[in-house]
Amino acid sequence: MADASADRVSRTRGLRPLAWLALAALLALAIALALGSVGIAPDELVAVLLGGGDALYQTLVLELRLPRALAAFGTGALLALAGALMQILLRNPLADPYVLGLSGGASVAALLAMLAGASMALVSGAAFVGALVSILIVFGLAHGTGSWTPTRLLLTGVVMAAGWGALISFLLAVSPVERLPGMLYWLMGDMAYAGSPWPVLGVAIASLLVVMPLGRTLNVLARGGLQAAALGVAVRPLEWTLFLLASLLTAVAVTTAGSVGFVGLMVPHMLRLRLGNDQRLILPASLLAGGTLLTLADTLARTLIAPQQLPVGVITALLGVPSFLYLLSRSR
Amino acid sequence: MRKNARLASMAALPLTLIIGLGACLPGVARAKVCVGDDAGHELCLEAPAQRIVALSPSVTELLFAAGAGERVVGVVNFSDFPAAARSIPQVGGYDRLDLEALLALEPDLVVAWQGGNPREQVERLSRLGLPVYYSDVEDFAGIAETLERFGTLAGTPEVAASAAASLREDVATLRARYAGADPVPVFYQVWEQPLMTINGEHWISRSLELCGGVNLFADASTLAPRIGVESVLARDPEAIITGGMGDPNSTWLEAWGDFPQLTAVQRDNLFFVDPDLVQRATPRLLDGTRALCDRLEVARGRR
Repeated sequence: MADASADRVSRTRGLRPLAWLALAALLALAIALALGSVGIAPDELVAVLLGGGDALYQTLVLELRLPRALAAFGTGALLALAGALMQILLRNPLADPYVLGLSGGASVAALLAMLAGASMALVSGAAFVGALVSILIVFGLAHGTGSWTPTRLLLTGVVMAAGWGALISFLLAVSPVERLPGMLYWLMGDMAYAGSPWPVLGVAIASLLVVMPLGRTLNVLARGGLQAAALGVAVRPLEWTLFLLASLLTAVAVTTAGSVGFVGLMVPHMLRLRLGNDQRLILPASLLAGGTLLTLADTLARTLIAPQQLPVGVITALLGVPSFLYLLSRSR
Repeated sequence: MRKNARLASMAALPLTLIIGLGACLPGVARAKVCVGDDAGHELCLEAPAQRIVALSPSVTELLFAAGAGERVVGVVNFSDFPAAARSIPQVGGYDRLDLEALLALEPDLVVAWQGGNPREQVERLSRLGLPVYYSDVEDFAGIAETLERFGTLAGTPEVAASAAASLREDVATLRARYAGADPVPVFYQVWEQPLMTINGEHWISRSLELCGGVNLFADASTLAPRIGVESVLARDPEAIITGGMGDPNSTWLEAWGDFPQLTAVQRDNLFFVDPDLVQRATPRLLDGTRALCDRLEVARGRR
């Protein structure tokens, strides 16, 4: 009885931050539509959104800005959610979506495809396959026989990441000079590659539906595997579910935009500093905040020194580091 | 039925008028133009292009040389030749385009650099309905042919044809002059850290060959291979030529002084050429080739 009422209290308390984050997300999308290297007056923008307006503005807003903003939102949402899940899984604050070497596998496959002169669709496909291969290797090695701990999974992943890193450097060293800019942009993370936004958005919504029912169980797991097992949680199946889910989310994100850094590491931490460590709140909040951050960062990336275009990975860190440090210093 | 037909003919009247007016406008050719591009596509425009965006500095140069300079409305970074190109609005760098800025220029032709521009972005322009010409120029024959094609696309075939003809003529003259020249083993240094050169496929190598130079790394497998200093010492060039970073006082050449056993160092055959003249496949490559030939003549004189 007491438990149920406590639950209700935390639920109403949780709705308010989510409402604010949803508002921020809408605002970020509006900013992304309104800003670009071509100035579009607010009334023109409204006219375009209502289905009319200048033909050129229609192309700019509906064909360029809107798909890119949605793709950025979906990618950021996936990365932040994957980061939050990895941090619960590994019980390690330094965990991010790439810590288990997944982006390395994706990058090696993507660079190989670029080296072969493949089209962008093939490069994305290769990145997804590379990510899956990396997941399977880490899964297979860490699963093995004998004792299994998150530490073992973490070490396997970190060593795999180092191996992929060496392969990436090798590929960069032997690639023809004229292909290097494209490869470097991909490695830094860049929304200019993003095609249709629907895959990332769809996966983001579907994954939220999968993890939300797990919220309370994850709260128990976050306090430690032994404690969770004592409380009747089937720890190992849950951990493997988390691992595979987080990996798949990351694979989809990396396939869309290359390895955008920072979002997956910092967004969950920032939210925990403000909202506490209730996964039922943190997971949807990560989705909204990650999407918002990447949408804003991508808007800056394409307008800051336009017509020069920056990779979005640069901006996520430049925006995120000071705001994270500020929250951290205030939270003590 | 009859009412409909009359309505249709009434609607058609202003349309014919507009088309007729368009055809009568002085100086505006309305004829359809078609060319094949370097990607093997056939590109047709309803009328010669009036607003062209050039997606590499070389393409900008080629368009100006083809007489289409005043129709270029957008360029990318480093499009610094001819001087008029510097004041044309930029649409980002060749490796990352600002598609918004490009579309806002409302071009009727985009000339892309195949292999240099990001394919995904150029394909998106195609999908948005813009005609795209893919350019990939490799040698003098390609430069001359591209000039003619650009002349056709931009409605300046006379200027382009004469530019192409004089280029072909000058190259033939140069080739004839050095036809029997003694071979000079050459190392062309593209970059210092990492040490880079060019293989036999590159136009710089072909220009060197034209005046009797022998590119010591012609057999390399990639266009611009990264190599070790040891392999340069092993092949012992008689001349070392570099464009440096555009600065004639570059320390790149001095650094070779550490290896006095090199024939090129013993005879002081360490030469600088303006990289803008040799590292872009444009009509200026003719001046660059002349400069290379002069350096090789100096080297022959020091035997």
